[in-house]
Amino acid sequence: MSKPRVAVYKMSSCAGCQLEIINLEPILLDLLGAVDLSYFVMARRENEPGPYDIGLVEGAITCGEEIERLKKARQECHLLVALGSCACYGGLPSIKNWQPQRVVENRVYDNLAAIHSTTAYGIDYYVPVDAYLKGCPVSREELLDFIKSTLLGVRPYLRPHSVCVECKLHENVCLFVTEKAICLGPVTTAGCGALCPSRGKPCDGCRGPANDANAVSLARTMAAYGLHSQDIVRYFRKFAGMTSEFSKGAEAV
Amino acid sequence: MSVAYARQEEWSIPQLYHLPAAKLDPFLNKLKENYTLIGPVVKGKEFVFAPLSDPGELSLHYQTTLLPPKKVLHLPFEVLFSFHEDQQIIETAQEQQQQIIFGIHPCDVHAIAILDKAYTAEYPDPYYIAKRRNTLLVALNCSEPGENCFCQSLGTGPELKDGYDLLLTDLGNGYLLEVGSPRGRELVQVMDLAPAPRVAMVEKQKVLDNARRKFQKKLNTQDLPGILEENFRQPIWEELMHECLACGSCTMVCPTCFCYNVVDKIDLNLKSGKRQREWDSCMLLEYAQVALGHNFRKDRDARVKQRIYHKLVYYEPQFGTLGCVGCGRCIHTCVKKIDITDVISRLRGE
Repeated sequence: MSKPRVAVYKMSSCAGCQLEIINLEPILLDLLGAVDLSYFVMARRENEPGPYDIGLVEGAITCGEEIERLKKARQECHLLVALGSCACYGGLPSIKNWQPQRVVENRVYDNLAAIHSTTAYGIDYYVPVDAYLKGCPVSREELLDFIKSTLLGVRPYLRPHSVCVECKLHENVCLFVTEKAICLGPVTTAGCGALCPSRGKPCDGCRGPANDANAVSLARTMAAYGLHSQDIVRYFRKFAGMTSEFSKGAEAV
Repeated sequence: MSVAYARQEEWSIPQLYHLPAAKLDPFLNKLKENYTLIGPVVKGKEFVFAPLSDPGELSLHYQTTLLPPKKVLHLPFEVLFSFHEDQQIIETAQEQQQQIIFGIHPCDVHAIAILDKAYTAEYPDPYYIAKRRNTLLVALNCSEPGENCFCQSLGTGPELKDGYDLLLTDLGNGYLLEVGSPRGRELVQVMDLAPAPRVAMVEKQKVLDNARRKFQKKLNTQDLPGILEENFRQPIWEELMHECLACGSCTMVCPTCFCYNVVDKIDLNLKSGKRQREWDSCMLLEYAQVALGHNFRKDRDARVKQRIYHKLVYYEPQFGTLGCVGCGRCIHTCVKKIDITDVISRLRGE
């Protein structure tokens, strides 16, 4: 039986999530024993054409050309996965969405003749998506769990709840309560192992809203901690401002 | 099977010793020869229970810890067994080393008594029981209750009456040491300790009376199930639905919460793996979701209510006691400062 074929696509992104696949180095050979990385431009000189069993799409969709490539990817992949927060919600590129396109383009490019950017969206704005692997970058462990579960035909265990759960399981000192720091952990999806709070850095919300995120209530507490309303907006729009939950948080105060 | 603990009354004369402050470290060093010592140590601005590599790390002047000592009996993450395609199951070897939880407060001792009922009675849990059997409790009466403590209202502190192997009370110049079990007596025998003078019991009551005056929170337990059942539909629940972040912290730090989730971690060869469990929480949306996606507690207020009703109403018929021991951890950990004592007094119209 041939191994399942995996394709990795890149849209508007920093390539950090793809890099996490390569960073699986110690077990990369084991991974290649389980799947063929058939299309992975970052890592292969020659790439094989589709169809593929699993398509991992990195990056937000920010121009017409990407929409075309995304639709083709959807057609040639049995399962299509949003790899990382850009593909899930628009991610960091979506911070531009609250200014006119021309203003944003002008800041980056000298010659705008060939630039036709669109609002940055996650990939599910254009095509149906089978799974979301959140994070900036994506969690290697979750990515592996997802691949293994898919190969076995079982539902992967992707933590849907808040980062606080993992923070408590690791018995971290609460940055919000004890250190009086602003932390998006209570409304952000876990699965990162509470990576930042475990190292004394508040959660930035890179994994987007947890399954029952109450961003409005958290925004009120952020304001009570003395945060300016514009800063609260920045917190909620940094990675997942396009989600309804975090946009409610951004507009709450 | 049950973890039987001798009650104080079964001992004709309580055995009292005086442990001078200077002898605490030598005592701990003696105990360390045969036991793993676990006690409160400093972590940042908080305290946690952790194995003591050096008695000097022990901080007995703590008010509360981030996680309850439950974490050494029912681990936050625990590998139950590993398995292989050819149907081999390899059980995780249970640690045989005897351990002592040193300096555990009365509220947490009461919480362990509740866990004993949950994990050893109807559905015996071999993982919990193996650890519990090898665990001795050297308790410490509370002389400095914290700002969120309300054990006094629930009869679970600041004075411990039973459930311990040894009980310490800080009398200033040293500790009064009371023996609560045959295993506790064995512990005392490692040191040459003088019996405590009878007046030490009077001093102990002075310390505890002083502590009793320091409580800032209380929870009136009179007809609690009745009050809660009458108020199942009350505006306060809707208010809490809008407040609560559903982050699950309150249940993660609770010493009497015993729910867990079981997850298989498969190896990349897809032929072997591990089955592990980790703490779960009824405050989380996915907790009450069943096959085909229906969720019995989809609304946040239903989960807020479930937590409070379970602790204050539903434990009683199941375990013969309230499910709250007044340790105050859920209040301390809550970003929104949702306070179970405040919820109850508001329901009472106070």
